Amino acid sequence: MTTKLILKALTIVICLFVISCKHSDEHKYHSVTDKIEAETVTPENLTVTSETFNENIKTVKFEEDGYEFLIPERKSQISSFNCTECHTKPIEKLKQDQVGEKAAHWNIKLAHAGPETMNCATCHTDGNMDNLHSLTNSEIDFNYSYKLCSQCHQQEFKDWKGGAHGKQLGGWAPPRLSNTCVNCHNPHKPAFEKRWPVRFNTQKVKERQ
Amino acid sequence: MSNDSKKWYSFNLNKSAKTDACGCGSNSGSCSDEKPKDGYDQIMDVSMDRRSAFKKITAGFLIGAGAVSSSCSVVSGDESKEKSGIEWDEYFKGNYKLMTDEDKVETVDRLTRSYELRTGKKINMSSKDAEEDVLFGYAFNISKCQGYMDCVNACVEENNQDRSTEMQYIRIHEMEDGKGFNFEESDDNYYHEVPADGHFYMGTQCFHCDNPPCVEVCPVQATWKEKDGIVVIDYDWCVGCRYCMAACPYDGRRFNWKTPEVPEQEVNKKQHYLGNRLRKKGVMEKCTFCIQRSREGQNPACVEACPTGSRTFGNLLDPKSNIRWILENKKVFRLKEDLGTEPKFWYYMD
Repeated sequence: MTTKLILKALTIVICLFVISCKHSDEHKYHSVTDKIEAETVTPENLTVTSETFNENIKTVKFEEDGYEFLIPERKSQISSFNCTECHTKPIEKLKQDQVGEKAAHWNIKLAHAGPETMNCATCHTDGNMDNLHSLTNSEIDFNYSYKLCSQCHQQEFKDWKGGAHGKQLGGWAPPRLSNTCVNCHNPHKPAFEKRWPVRFNTQKVKERQ
Repeated sequence: MSNDSKKWYSFNLNKSAKTDACGCGSNSGSCSDEKPKDGYDQIMDVSMDRRSAFKKITAGFLIGAGAVSSSCSVVSGDESKEKSGIEWDEYFKGNYKLMTDEDKVETVDRLTRSYELRTGKKINMSSKDAEEDVLFGYAFNISKCQGYMDCVNACVEENNQDRSTEMQYIRIHEMEDGKGFNFEESDDNYYHEVPADGHFYMGTQCFHCDNPPCVEVCPVQATWKEKDGIVVIDYDWCVGCRYCMAACPYDGRRFNWKTPEVPEQEVNKKQHYLGNRLRKKGVMEKCTFCIQRSREGQNPACVEACPTGSRTFGNLLDPKSNIRWILENKKVFRLKEDLGTEPKFWYYMD
């Protein structure tokens, strides 16, 4: 008799559970991290694209360590490239020829590491002005100047490849287009400068008095 | 609600008001036994007897009487007739959540036309729905932000925010090094050269929580979370009670204390119904991750304006997106995580 009663009670409890249990989509996951993990899709299935927003930017491809994205092309953005149009002779010779005249690149002052670490020739090549060179003297194309920066700034390079450093252009949707180092940092003076904020709320000051 | 013959909102006296937009997520079966009806449902989901229906309709008629008198008048011009027609239809339209796609297009057309009648200028308003397989998330690098506030300006311009009260969605807090995230002692309206020595900068805005308390408290269901994770407001359904403002633990919501003023030449004409369309006095508004941009694949205005790359926006469901890399490889945290609001806005450091 008692077992029957217990059984009946159990069935009722189970039935109640089934009926009352809420299975709405809203609370399917314990946290948003679980949701992200469970609902992640394969990138091929994504339909949104940001191509239209980047149409006007000439790009080259970055491909390294399994990362693949676009970066802005650089050479066409440098005024008076190719450099060899002026740099027809070695620097010393050019200097001798132009004694007394206004120096070329007078406006460039190197403020990047100290003079013990870097000077013009750390990156630029006297005999081959149209290209840069690495610490071990291998040639680096101006379009891929990140190879030069990454020799020292390895943590930044790692973050940039992943997407935690630097700025994504156009849209969030693929294909990814990220600024390369020199799009944000002036290589001759890479630190961001102090300046005034672009906004000050005078109304807010009054209200808070 | 989309019968061709119907020109205005009806109470659906004998029909069930259920559409596929039902909150329980299932299209079949009944979901009424899941939770007790409250607020909005109590009013909209009851079958009504003739007498009380008449009472309610009469109340509506009284308010709409002005519109009728001018729209039926023989003396007023075609334009003013059209105007009052639009006003009538707008007054009786339903909650955006219950609208069919047709209804959405119709109200967008009405709002566009009404703007044209008022100013003679055309706007481009969209009612684009969330894309499949997209969940938006945001990351903010506190080591990189320099406090320039370019994002704030971009946001004000993009989202047609009121210029006179300086109401802004984004706040940049200047915090002193070594004091932690001390919002009480931080300054969000500094004016000196930045970055100031010994300080760091932290931006806040709506975090688009996955479990948003502001949505829970809304008595009229004028705010909700879209499928792509954006928490939106139907400005025409909001009654301005500001419950949501009190419920938000992040100070992410703003209220229009007066009619917002945006100089005509500065109005951003690319608009979304749930985003940057012009608001009115007495309604809530907040960051929508620039819904008019992000649903098209574009970055929000703040991300685009930031010169330091502190701001990252992307699809959390795309394993190759920048934001996913940040979540998986950097030491990220969110504000007031213990509240269980599950914000989709992460902070990280270099």
